[in-house]
Amino acid sequence: MDEHILDDLALNNALSGTNSHLKLLLGISSILICVFSPSFFTPLVVGISMAAVTVGLAKIPLREYITLLMIPVTFAASGAIVILFLTGGGDPILSLSLFGATLTATTGGANLSLLVLSRTFGGMSALFFIALSTPMIQIFTVFHDLKFPREFIDLSMMVYRLIFIFIGEAIAIHNAQVMRNGYNGLKNSVHALSMLCGALFIKAWVRGEEMLIAMDSRCYDGKFEQCGAKQTIGILPAAATGAYLCGCSVLAVVFSGITLF
Amino acid sequence: MDPAIQFVDVRYAYPGGPLSLTGVSFSLAQGSKVALVGPNGAGKTTLLLMCNGILRPDEGEVRVLGKPLAYDRSSLREIRKKVGFVFQNSENQIFAPTVYQDVAFGPVNLGLPQDQVQRAVRHAIFSVGLSGYEKRPPHHLSGGEKKRVAIAGVLAMDPEILVFDEPTSSLDPATAAEIMDLLDELNAQGRTIIISTHDVQLAYSWADEVVLLSAGSVLHQGSPESVFTNYPLMDRARLTIPPILELFLMLQERNISISKTPPAGVLEMTHLLEQAIGCRRTGKIGQIFVADADQATGDDTREHISRHAISRVGAMGTVAKIFAERELIPLDFTYGVIDKALLRAVLGEHTLIITSGGMIGRVSRRVDEFSREHGVTITISLV
Repeated sequence: MDEHILDDLALNNALSGTNSHLKLLLGISSILICVFSPSFFTPLVVGISMAAVTVGLAKIPLREYITLLMIPVTFAASGAIVILFLTGGGDPILSLSLFGATLTATTGGANLSLLVLSRTFGGMSALFFIALSTPMIQIFTVFHDLKFPREFIDLSMMVYRLIFIFIGEAIAIHNAQVMRNGYNGLKNSVHALSMLCGALFIKAWVRGEEMLIAMDSRCYDGKFEQCGAKQTIGILPAAATGAYLCGCSVLAVVFSGITLF
Repeated sequence: MDPAIQFVDVRYAYPGGPLSLTGVSFSLAQGSKVALVGPNGAGKTTLLLMCNGILRPDEGEVRVLGKPLAYDRSSLREIRKKVGFVFQNSENQIFAPTVYQDVAFGPVNLGLPQDQVQRAVRHAIFSVGLSGYEKRPPHHLSGGEKKRVAIAGVLAMDPEILVFDEPTSSLDPATAAEIMDLLDELNAQGRTIIISTHDVQLAYSWADEVVLLSAGSVLHQGSPESVFTNYPLMDRARLTIPPILELFLMLQERNISISKTPPAGVLEMTHLLEQAIGCRRTGKIGQIFVADADQATGDDTREHISRHAISRVGAMGTVAKIFAERELIPLDFTYGVIDKALLRAVLGEHTLIITSGGMIGRVSRRVDEFSREHGVTITISLV
């Protein structure tokens, strides 16, 4: 996958012009609702609606979205299986014998693993909503408006810029190694990877020195220009966000008792 | 007038290394276009890094606009405002997350008020032809665009002297030619331009003055013709002679003398050869029309193109290129415009050059010079 893909989508989606305070509020509040909801139901609703907003309103291509979402969901699913068999409580619903040992899934385990799965799904799709609809630069502007320390913002802006240079360097070194059979076999791979890491460390160091010279050449005096135009908040998006968050909170309270078994 | 930059017996060794500059002395006039030419490891970059006080000579002195460099904080700030430095690798120079922020870096650190910062940044971004790119992150730009951002970042501080380390390395030839045209444009505004390069053709065709460096010392300083026609000098500096000059010298060795002075480029060479083989051009000579992009309108320009049967249109400078793009005037030439127009004129075609400001004068000077040297009368008319 192209290393620019997340950034590209964030810059060129249908919602990139919408007020970023609002988008961050929506995303972060949704995550909080998912985390604090005692039932699996609300996170599931949040997950599905956030995915629908990201694909439907922000016009993120469905294929790319599913590919991205599958990464955390796969992790969560494997975790959920472990929880299903290791957590006790309630009545047994399924027994498996594996290498002579018996694994039993109980209703308590099933409830807990479904909750973990739906919270991960809900939280991740809310996070992806932020990541895919808001350009990084606008997030820095929000930090600035929220009076985050200047040093923190300046540093994160440079980190953001340098990540892409770093990835570019890593890909170049990796290609050079692959071309000379660097990753043939386990022993070779370990050796090549260690060389990659060493070379990257030194390159990062050299780059840092060069950047310092470049900054000095332009009279660096501890100041960094802030960016981002002021965005107005539209009534409709604000009302929709408010309604959505209230609705989800109500759902979380009303259906707090719902469990699978 | 004080020289723009003067090196007085400068010696320098990198910590723990051998001497990399072994007593360099030369001076460069204000408003000139200088190419520092030499093989890899000759000390070009080291020398350039001394122009704005990044490196400090172990012995000797660097003078900028007549004043010796001092290395305390506030003097260095002053110097770096006067001498802008554009790195070979733009990636190292651009560290902000958007084009606007990167270009604003210099003015903000100079402590300019917000409105002046905005004006300086807008102007600099416009001058390099990147208006509309303000919010783009640098990693979404092409190599040529990154180079332009790097140049804009330096221009925003309005320096009198611009230093470029290998400005065209890793750019495709058309982009490289456009960047060199941009450098010409900056020079036309009265700025001194110093580049380092080992592209002999580029140095020969672009520079007014060439400083030839080898193994940490100056081998020769002089006009491009005097440097690049000197075989022993070229050998010592591990350089090759630009193809057009080599052809001229080869012809001379075989007693085919087409001119006393070496040709400046393909255009002159073509003309000299044509005269030498006795092929007199009898046909009509084309006219060159010049439009001022600051005053012309799109409709006027189109009207001129059809009325005078103009076959080719070229744009010189950023203002002109933006004008042509806005008015949907298709361009045939975007770099090396004057020479291409002259070539067409000799073939009997009419051409239109869209340009602005001080470059209008440059067009007429160049055309007059060509007419005088080659005995053809090419008329220019301002439309």
